[in-house]
Amino acid sequence: MADEIDHGSEEFADARQEMDQLVYDSLKSKEMKPNAMFARLSDLAKSAKMSRTAVTWARKNSLWPLQFGLACCAIELMDFGSSRIDAERKGYLLFRGTPRQCDVMVVAGWVTKSMVPEIKRLYEQMTEPRYVIAFGECATCGGPWWQSYNIVKGIDEVLHVDVYVAGCPPKPENLFAALMKLQKKVGGSIED
Amino acid sequence: MKIDRGQLTNQVSRLKAAGFDYLVKITAVDYVDHLEVLYFVRDIAASKDEILEVTVAPSDAWVPTIMDFHLSADWYERELAEMFGITVKGRATARLFLEKWDGADPPLRKSFVWDAQYRTRDVKK
Amino acid sequence: MSVTRINVGPIHPSTHGVIRLVVDVDGDTIVNVEPHAGFLHRGVEKLAETRMYMQIPPYTEKLDYVAPMSYDEAYVAAVEAAMGIEVNEKAKYVRTVLLELQRIASHLLGLGTLCNDIGQMFTVFMWTFKDRDIVLDLLQEATGSRMFYVNMRLGGMHAELPPDFAEHAYNTMNYIEKRVSQYETYVEKNTAFMERMRGIGVLSSEDAKALGVAGPVLRASGVNYDARKHSPYYMYDKFHFNPKVMLTGDNFARYKVRMLEMKESVRIVKAALKAMPEGSCLGMPVKLRSPNPVNRTVSVSRELPRGECMMYLVADPQKPYRLSIRSPNMVNLAAIGHIAKGARFADLFGILGTLDIIMGCVDR
Repeated sequence: MADEIDHGSEEFADARQEMDQLVYDSLKSKEMKPNAMFARLSDLAKSAKMSRTAVTWARKNSLWPLQFGLACCAIELMDFGSSRIDAERKGYLLFRGTPRQCDVMVVAGWVTKSMVPEIKRLYEQMTEPRYVIAFGECATCGGPWWQSYNIVKGIDEVLHVDVYVAGCPPKPENLFAALMKLQKKVGGSIED
Repeated sequence: MKIDRGQLTNQVSRLKAAGFDYLVKITAVDYVDHLEVLYFVRDIAASKDEILEVTVAPSDAWVPTIMDFHLSADWYERELAEMFGITVKGRATARLFLEKWDGADPPLRKSFVWDAQYRTRDVKK
Repeated sequence: MSVTRINVGPIHPSTHGVIRLVVDVDGDTIVNVEPHAGFLHRGVEKLAETRMYMQIPPYTEKLDYVAPMSYDEAYVAAVEAAMGIEVNEKAKYVRTVLLELQRIASHLLGLGTLCNDIGQMFTVFMWTFKDRDIVLDLLQEATGSRMFYVNMRLGGMHAELPPDFAEHAYNTMNYIEKRVSQYETYVEKNTAFMERMRGIGVLSSEDAKALGVAGPVLRASGVNYDARKHSPYYMYDKFHFNPKVMLTGDNFARYKVRMLEMKESVRIVKAALKAMPEGSCLGMPVKLRSPNPVNRTVSVSRELPRGECMMYLVADPQKPYRLSIRSPNMVNLAAIGHIAKGARFADLFGILGTLDIIMGCVDR
């Protein structure tokens, strides 16, 4: 699926070609010195161009989520991680309990006023770069509880959201598409 | 069965002795000129339900606690106190759902009217 | 005795929603557990007073979001009782089938998250989610949606069942029956699982009645109460439904009651599919004004997968005056202070897993 990996503009093209060639050579098991690939990578990494691409490529293909299900959309989130729509094949693995090791927070479910300080604290504990996906209508705009007295109308009144997913609840395939869009955003091909 | 507030504890203990030992729900309805507090008890072995209705005036809104007879009354009475503003005499009721409530009236009263507020448009990062 | 206070906060890896449990521990023994609910409170009962009758099912479905159709049905049954509307014959069978399918899906999720909490047995979680997906596919065939169905109308359903639904459902039920037996074998031969389930979190039957717990928790403590038997509705009477009761009241009993209930549900679905009459199961369309209520106050009991829900409805002409929902999860959660006293701290999550609590239902 090489056409989906979008490394950005033209100036990285030759660096990308070198990287691809390296991987291709190692797969074809041509004669290479044992640490040749790593030595080559570290040479390339010394030049600033390569490191930015490599780091961005690594980051977007291993977005680790925070296990943060609030309500009904959490059930679809659990379904998203299970075997039919497997989230882990896109690098979205290891739902962690601690926010210090996570990149993405998927806010799944409605947010009440009692919950806002907790969410803010978790968001502040995540290390940069961090992303937020507002999953479902309740996190996007308050959802069916639009007129409730205890609901925050959308998590973007509290945090900065990167991707919104509509649906009540969105099917796990929708979350998969949102994840791929977030990957494109991390890669830099969609502007904020 | 409509009873008086003063007879509530007697009736509950009488029913419990007669076999109605499972409390299903304590709830209340706000008819604007009076509040009606309902106690649903059940006799599981004989498969019978009984509803006790206590009428309370809004200005004098209190009921005695029935926690001595049914342990499950704990959270129901807390919810009653929080949502309707009905004091439960005989125990301390801590807030159950809304720990930081800043509205004037308890939520489930008819006098509590809120308008749907539109969301703020500035996004905080 | 020095008591440490530990806060098992709103977000914790046990996938039961947002509860704050304030646990007082003396060494490794729990002295007191105090649950703080309310992080998901959105005032469903107040919102229901501002909506018309058939605008409310989407709200009541999101109470217990693992078994949404059962809450939907409880509410619609309350409205039908208030209006004096009879459900037509085929719709009774269809509702029985769909409710029991919903019960199977709900218990599968309960089993998966329980195994996840007990020993990080993520394998069982994956398997049960796969099977739950298969049952949800069946429900999607019948209603059009995976998770929130809104398919109950006054007096019937929103659409007919597809013509090949019976065959698919029959095959799926045979598969599920085999899988449930497999789960029992795999899980009960696992020493780690059994050590953490047998004899832990014992709840006697007098305490169960005094605490007012509901559902499988009540039946696992020896109390023979199931709303499907004691106030029968739809076709449960005809298919000789029997509540599953166990006497020990520990974690294992609560888990086993759910497995036995799944098998019973499979049996009822197969019997109902065989006996389903011809005809139409459509109910009143939502576009029409709902009729005026005949009874002003109505109370309807239904057996949800997690317990008994009693809807008390005070009916006004076009919208409810008051909808009071008795949530089984709230009483089950309130009982945790009593059940977990004296247990070890790590067993708290086993107990919480077997109580199978959905927080959306607790904090209406």
